[in-house]
Amino acid sequence: MIPVHVVTGFLGSGKTTLLREVLARPDFADTAVIVNEFGEVGLDHVLLEEVEEGVLLLESGCICCTIRSDLQETIRDLQARAAKGAIPRFNRLIVETTGLADPAPIVSTVVAEPVIRNHFRIGNIICTVDGIAGAATLEAQPEAKKQVSIADRILITKTDLIQPAAAIALASRLSALNALADIGRSDGRDFDADLLFGVELGDPGRREAEVARWLAGAAAHGDHDHSADAHSFVLSYDRPIDWIAFGIWLTALLHAHGERILRVKGLLELRESETPVVIHGVQHVVHPPLHLARWPTEERGSKIVFITRGVEETAVRQSLDRFLELAAVADAPADAA
Amino acid sequence: MCGLCGLLGVVHWTETSAHADAFTGDRRRTIRGERLHRTKIVNAALAPLRMRLSDFQASNYILSSPTGRREIVDDIGAVWGAVERLRGRPLDPLDPGWCDAIAEQAERSS
Repeated sequence: MIPVHVVTGFLGSGKTTLLREVLARPDFADTAVIVNEFGEVGLDHVLLEEVEEGVLLLESGCICCTIRSDLQETIRDLQARAAKGAIPRFNRLIVETTGLADPAPIVSTVVAEPVIRNHFRIGNIICTVDGIAGAATLEAQPEAKKQVSIADRILITKTDLIQPAAAIALASRLSALNALADIGRSDGRDFDADLLFGVELGDPGRREAEVARWLAGAAAHGDHDHSADAHSFVLSYDRPIDWIAFGIWLTALLHAHGERILRVKGLLELRESETPVVIHGVQHVVHPPLHLARWPTEERGSKIVFITRGVEETAVRQSLDRFLELAAVADAPADAA
Repeated sequence: MCGLCGLLGVVHWTETSAHADAFTGDRRRTIRGERLHRTKIVNAALAPLRMRLSDFQASNYILSSPTGRREIVDDIGAVWGAVERLRGRPLDPLDPGWCDAIAEQAERSS
């Protein structure tokens, strides 16, 4: 399965600089890139074309629902051409969104399309944030807030042009919006590419490290600034929970509130499995459950982390409790027999 | 549904049988057992609305309204949209009224 990483970030935040640097590294020679032309950002294509042969340019517009079929066709075409030997085989795909795009439809394209989902899986969503203008952009642009809230990795760019205190203040604001994402810094050249594109849930060898990372982030920031547009909270259970009841509940919750539940990530201790199970989703899309060979820390039990816009923790907790109680009732006759 | 459609169909993330590598040990339910357990829980949750879900050939579910209207759905993810259509308005799992009714249902059944 080839990971599809999504590079998002507001206009001028440094997405192309990041890609240009990454693609120039020998480790990333087996990377295919899909960029998107949107007004002035068409320049992106010129820059990328010089460093990467496998660049494809979508015809027009923004990668969102309206041209999602274009993205489907582009990914399928890439895969077919690589299989035929028309282009070199690639082991990683990066999709760069426009500055105004919502990255969530890209995730649903990869997960929902029957052909694509058998060859590709979603990797990390990486959001670049302009170190100079990022704070003002977050205040003024709801698209920028959503990009940050959905991301697995946030990269503050242009750090060579700002004071350290400003970078710290911006990182704090970003943590309030997204407690789960790692926040890195870049001056254009010096950044941890392996953390951005290498460490991810889809890689079984690095899954445990990734889970430990976002559990630590949630523990550190879980009660942060609930007045923010997006905030996170953790539901914890110290006993094994019923996967079937949990799945029923989460599908009902996302059906009703998926627009406002930007991310959900969970490490679950289940009645149905001896080892922990990892779930993660973006808005209405939940990825297939993942096996974790062992617990990342000494602590057992389930932890489900939500990043939401205006969905209250108390209501979510009470609702899940009710559904889990139903599981016990559903099992009762069989137990009695 | 033809065999080819079945092969190319999208597997729902909640189905343990389709993600056997994620669930280790011998605690996982059989396909039929899982679907039976799922319909029991959904029916307990939908009882306050007088709606009912039943399994159809271990491949689909059928949702029935109090007035006898029915809709066939592929998986649990599609149930909630069908509930809305048959009911005529959205259903919110965070609605305290529904949560209380579910709690009463659990208490009566235990």
